[in-house]
Amino acid sequence: MLTVGTVARIEGADATVLPLAEDGAIPDNLRAAADAAGFRGGAGTSCEALTTEGRVVLVGLGAAGDVEGAGSHTASTLSGYARIALDARGLTAERAARFAAACCLRAWRPAAIRKAEDADAPRLAALDILLDGSAEFAGVWTPLEAAVRATLWARDMVTLPANVLTPASFATRLEDIAALGVKLKVLDTRDLRRKGFGALLAVGQGSANPPCLAVLRWRGTIEAPPVAFVGKGITFDTGGIGIKPANRMWEMRADMAGAAAAAGAIMALALRRSPAPAVAVLPLAENATGGASYRPGDVLRTLSGRTVEVVDTDAEGRLVLADAIHHAIARYKPQAVIDLATLTGAIVTALGHHRAGLFDNDAALAAHVAAAGASVGEDVWRMPIADAHREDINSDIADLRNCLTGRMLPDACHAAAFLREFAGDTPWAHLDIAGVESREEADGLMPKGATGFGVRLLDRLVAQRFEGPHRA
Amino acid sequence: MLDVAFAKPTLPKAGALALLIGEGEQASGLWAEADAATGGAVGRALAAARFTGKKGQTATILAPGAGLSRVIAVGIGKRADAKALAYEEAGGQAEAAASGDAVLAIVPGGGAADAAHAALGAVLRGYRFDRYRTKEKAQDKPKLAKVVVNHDEQAAARAAWSDLAAVAEGVFITRDLVSEPANVLNPAEFAKRCEGFEKYGLSVEVLGPKEMKKLGFGALLGVAQGSANEPRFVILEWKGRKGRGKSKPVAFVGKGVTFDTGGISIKPAGGMEEMKWDMGGAGTVAGLMVALAGRKAKVDAVGILGLVENMPSGTAQRPGDVVTSYSGQTIEVLNTDAEGRLVLADALWYCQEKFAPRFMVDLATLTGAIIVALGHEHAGLFSNNDELSQQLTAAGIETGEKVWRMPLGDAYDKMLKSDIADMKNIGGRPGGSITAAQFIQRFVNDTPWAHLDIAGTAWTHKDGAIIPKGASAFGVRLLDRLVANHFEE
Repeated sequence: MLTVGTVARIEGADATVLPLAEDGAIPDNLRAAADAAGFRGGAGTSCEALTTEGRVVLVGLGAAGDVEGAGSHTASTLSGYARIALDARGLTAERAARFAAACCLRAWRPAAIRKAEDADAPRLAALDILLDGSAEFAGVWTPLEAAVRATLWARDMVTLPANVLTPASFATRLEDIAALGVKLKVLDTRDLRRKGFGALLAVGQGSANPPCLAVLRWRGTIEAPPVAFVGKGITFDTGGIGIKPANRMWEMRADMAGAAAAAGAIMALALRRSPAPAVAVLPLAENATGGASYRPGDVLRTLSGRTVEVVDTDAEGRLVLADAIHHAIARYKPQAVIDLATLTGAIVTALGHHRAGLFDNDAALAAHVAAAGASVGEDVWRMPIADAHREDINSDIADLRNCLTGRMLPDACHAAAFLREFAGDTPWAHLDIAGVESREEADGLMPKGATGFGVRLLDRLVAQRFEGPHRA
Repeated sequence: MLDVAFAKPTLPKAGALALLIGEGEQASGLWAEADAATGGAVGRALAAARFTGKKGQTATILAPGAGLSRVIAVGIGKRADAKALAYEEAGGQAEAAASGDAVLAIVPGGGAADAAHAALGAVLRGYRFDRYRTKEKAQDKPKLAKVVVNHDEQAAARAAWSDLAAVAEGVFITRDLVSEPANVLNPAEFAKRCEGFEKYGLSVEVLGPKEMKKLGFGALLGVAQGSANEPRFVILEWKGRKGRGKSKPVAFVGKGVTFDTGGISIKPAGGMEEMKWDMGGAGTVAGLMVALAGRKAKVDAVGILGLVENMPSGTAQRPGDVVTSYSGQTIEVLNTDAEGRLVLADALWYCQEKFAPRFMVDLATLTGAIIVALGHEHAGLFSNNDELSQQLTAAGIETGEKVWRMPLGDAYDKMLKSDIADMKNIGGRPGGSITAAQFIQRFVNDTPWAHLDIAGTAWTHKDGAIIPKGASAFGVRLLDRLVANHFEE
């Protein structure tokens, strides 16, 4: 992450960024350059000029005064400079902080597993901020920084290849978060067997890397039941015996993005010392193809006692979530459960790569989730669980089946109907983040690659809904 | 269509008797009479069947005595919560259970309007498309010909029925059109049938390829050019506000691809026969206009049908072709199987230009993606107008023709960028229904507009309470209700 700090004067920076409103007054010494470039302060535009004080880059805020857009534009166009300065004397501390957060989010790049860094690789590492109200800056920056740092942590996790990030090593890496005062508990295979996590164990049984369940608990200061985050953590998904086509299967290393986001949200709360209690329950497994794998047709007994007929071993995410959601509710009695999962291809067909699917059993909670997403630029769209979807997952020989087979199926709705059975009466929302966990092209706050989708949404949801006196 | 009559409650001497029973209700009225006349057989049978009146529950008692061939109990749930749709569904279930009898007496309870809705349900469920069955034996055909609805306020119920009968007629017209095979129902035949709607008071105008060419319907004509069957463009108008001052009409636009092979981007053979109902949107608009005219709705309404057949041939349009739509915008056709939106592009632009309507609702069996998104219980709703969306959503819940709003936005619109034209006609698999709607939105010119993607709802593969397996006519009752709720004086 960029090193961000306020400075008393700009010194030693490779370039100084001057944000300008659309059709705002351009300083005299830059007017010629701006005119030549046709720069008028429009959103997503910039203009670089050499002055006696060094290199200055005018960055447009557009008509809407979009500091986040300008921040991400800055990070993408000035990535070749190691140290840049933001002349934020025209901005409030709060807007300067949002600029910086956007800059950090966009400037992230995957930690490459390379012997030598490319000479042309982005170098941007530091942002100095010159601000009139610098005393106020820390107050607004700290909570934003927490969410940004946690988002980048989640992106790094999602980027790790599956030979590095196994269920066990995922749990080990959670010690980064435990170090912030979060309680970490890991149930290993033996614990899971004793307690009856039949679905999670079945999904993980084909892999040489055994499954586990990690729980992160942030106590906060408010005396109230926690809000629970449940994240799908399939460190690699071959599909199992229902194996996936080889084409693009490598992307399945990101099938733990839900778990990374849930853990990242706890990290953000801990970094900013949120008063709200929260818990993340992370079922971690590798869905491998092998002689010990579970099979299509198997019937599993889940932790809840409900039995599930496995129609397709590649619909494994809902199985591990079933046990995890039940555990979260039975063990922690949360006031709400939000699960995140790269769950279905169907949600990508439905909503594309610009919105996650939101399913729920509680309209009020859904509205708060959607509002939180909209306010941080992680958009979601509410989707239905129709009566027919629930009927479709009835099994002839068990309580439920995990999916249907055939073409043109509303599998995202089926998966949500399945998960709802395990949420019971607890207010529950499910985010199907398949399609938004990674990006093929950089856009806005998201560079190419892992997005960390969900961390900032959940952090904002807690801030808006579970910290104040109005809390649910 | 079943014959419908209303009568004061009288225990029939023969035939079937259907009792619509609320949860927890005790025998009274005709129910008590029937029980008494059968020596308590009805009550005993219902107890044995564990009948409680739960919504959707049915129990049929064969030959209980008193001359009745059967007594059918249908649960409507809590009477206080039962709305029109609950009576329709119960009426439909009663019809299905009584198809072996010639006459069915229904005892709905509730208000006069509820009684009329029970009749509507029975009529809608009794639909059958059997014109191509030449050898069906008489005993295999359903016998039921008449429904007698027993209600204290029989006159009020009969009055409420007259509007609903018109809606049922519209639904049947749609179901007939959608059920017809494509060798019978080509664009010219579809248009010819529309000309027959003048008898309902609709004015009908039909444009052929020459007129369309002159107007510049390049997008629609591009789709049509591969077929030996010429395209047609039908404009139906209902003027229900005569003498009530001027106002803008409401407008409905339907995709009418009488058969969709996919064209040069040909579809896989498996399931291709279903593509005869790719004119479902136009079929719904036709039935809706008949319904509005039939019940003399106090509204000015326009129905526009773009009718083409999408065939592969030496004259068919090719992937990569660029066509100029009626709006002047150019379209790079990258997939000839994304043809519905091309037809709608010209139809919607024509509609807003010619009629400046208060709103436009288009209906189209447009994308497989909407089935993957929502399944078969909701149609996808895309709109540039929140108020219209809310009105449609509410009307959908009332009629059981449910819609679910889906998103639009610039990020999706960008996926239509073409290298050589104003837009391309596909945006890829991700968000496929959304990019289709974005495409259509480029032709609505800021008119309040809603697009209903009915690919998952135009046809049902299993019997529903008021929709027998087959063409559903999804949208006729929904849009009729939309008009009735908000756009009549």
